[in-house]
Amino acid sequence: MWWRCNPSLTLIYSGQPVVTHVPWVRRWPATAVHIMFDKVEAFYRPASVREALRLLDSGKGKARVVAGGTDLVVQGDDTVHFLIDITRAGLSYIRPKGAALAIGAATTMAQLEASDVVAALADGLLARAARSCGSALIRNRATLGGNIANASPAADMATPLLVLEASVVLAHARGRRTLPLAEYLLTAAAHRAAMHGVAGRRRTPDPFAGCLLVEVVIPAPPGGKGCRWSFQKFGRTAVDISLVNVAAGLQTDARGKVKWARIALGSVSPAPMRAAGAEQRMLGRKVDQAMLAEIGAEVAREVSPISDARASAEYRRELCFVLSRRALEECSALAGCCL
Amino acid sequence: MKTMEVRLIVNARPVVWSIAPGELLLDVLRREGYFGVKRGCEKGECGACAVLVDGTPVNSCLMFAAQAEGRQILTIEGVADGGTLHAVQEAFLDHGAVQCGFCTSGMVISAKALLDRRPDPSKDEVREALAGHLCRCTGYLKPVEAVLAAAGKKRRTRRTKAVAEVAK
Repeated sequence: MWWRCNPSLTLIYSGQPVVTHVPWVRRWPATAVHIMFDKVEAFYRPASVREALRLLDSGKGKARVVAGGTDLVVQGDDTVHFLIDITRAGLSYIRPKGAALAIGAATTMAQLEASDVVAALADGLLARAARSCGSALIRNRATLGGNIANASPAADMATPLLVLEASVVLAHARGRRTLPLAEYLLTAAAHRAAMHGVAGRRRTPDPFAGCLLVEVVIPAPPGGKGCRWSFQKFGRTAVDISLVNVAAGLQTDARGKVKWARIALGSVSPAPMRAAGAEQRMLGRKVDQAMLAEIGAEVAREVSPISDARASAEYRRELCFVLSRRALEECSALAGCCL
Repeated sequence: MKTMEVRLIVNARPVVWSIAPGELLLDVLRREGYFGVKRGCEKGECGACAVLVDGTPVNSCLMFAAQAEGRQILTIEGVADGGTLHAVQEAFLDHGAVQCGFCTSGMVISAKALLDRRPDPSKDEVREALAGHLCRCTGYLKPVEAVLAAAGKKRRTRRTKAVAEVAK
């Protein structure tokens, strides 16, 4: 039936309560006040993490944390009663932590791009990813913590951090805990699937309720010569969200054989993922065109993309093949290999 | 509705606003009469609402007004010095870089921020700085030429000044 194409009409015919708005007669809000945040009663600007956590606790689930706002404002949230701005809570920093690098959650993409420390880390992998996060206007506001906490499958910072085996530090009322980023992203994706999945809505408790993502810790990358990195992203335009993004790290021994390999992909599964099978397959192999084609195909088998307004699943799978091969090609070129 | 006060500096003038806690900077700026700040996509895609916050260009549609507390905001209304246009504005006029004009205020704001930071940008840097500004008249070439020309003009002025200094 023709009305089956339109979800709001299907509701009418399936005996649901009367649909209050039909998309094509929807009007824009007449007032200047942004309609999605009109229930906000208070806006807090805590000067410390401790204060932010106290406010988050007293918000009893009706408080939301905001930093750059580039995701929150676009998504809107008419259930939020309290906003907690963490951009003044001392969370904008990039500093060494032993052999590792600690980056504060409120550090902006622009700060990551401009940092010499970040540029020197892993062939500038993280700086490159930061530079691809939308226009300069967006990068001046968007934060690393926000990119991770929003847990979008397409988050551009997630894939480089996955290949760097980063961890996130969550602060809560009773202290702090450190969680591998991969685990954090999977937990967040599982929660989202439970809340909005096709299997119907189940109200599940937020696994990170009362937690504030305060820091991202990047361990010292495996050292030695021949450890090279690449970030590849494909979007409709240079400032678009990723259709697919790929980060790769590759270490070869003196004979050009792969000693260590990492590949992570974004926008091709419910959470950004590592292609563990492909990584395993590369070990001990010499990098050549045949191997790259084989690994690209393996990566394309491992992913589970969906079709949406931006691209079809088939196209995304093809992009996985091309981009992961391109990423490994760049890694080996940086290592001085001629293919 | 609950309200709160924010104190900030807009175009070098201290102001105190009474705002709703969930209001966006774009909405408040326009209510306060800064209509040069355009309401475009309200999603951070088009850059028509760009303002400088402490010298950094941002989309005012993605920033809560309460986040502007204590900050210095510059809108397009504050770019010209009285009756004298900014070099970027002059260059936009000279190069015919303004068509319908809706994106212009945002582009000028981003271009000014770029020239303040890098007085002598390359063409790629200019394109990068203007990348967040959509022009539906599709006039992208002329704004880039205008910003490069404005940079060149500033460079010439600096050189003239330097020569004059040496001559003294």
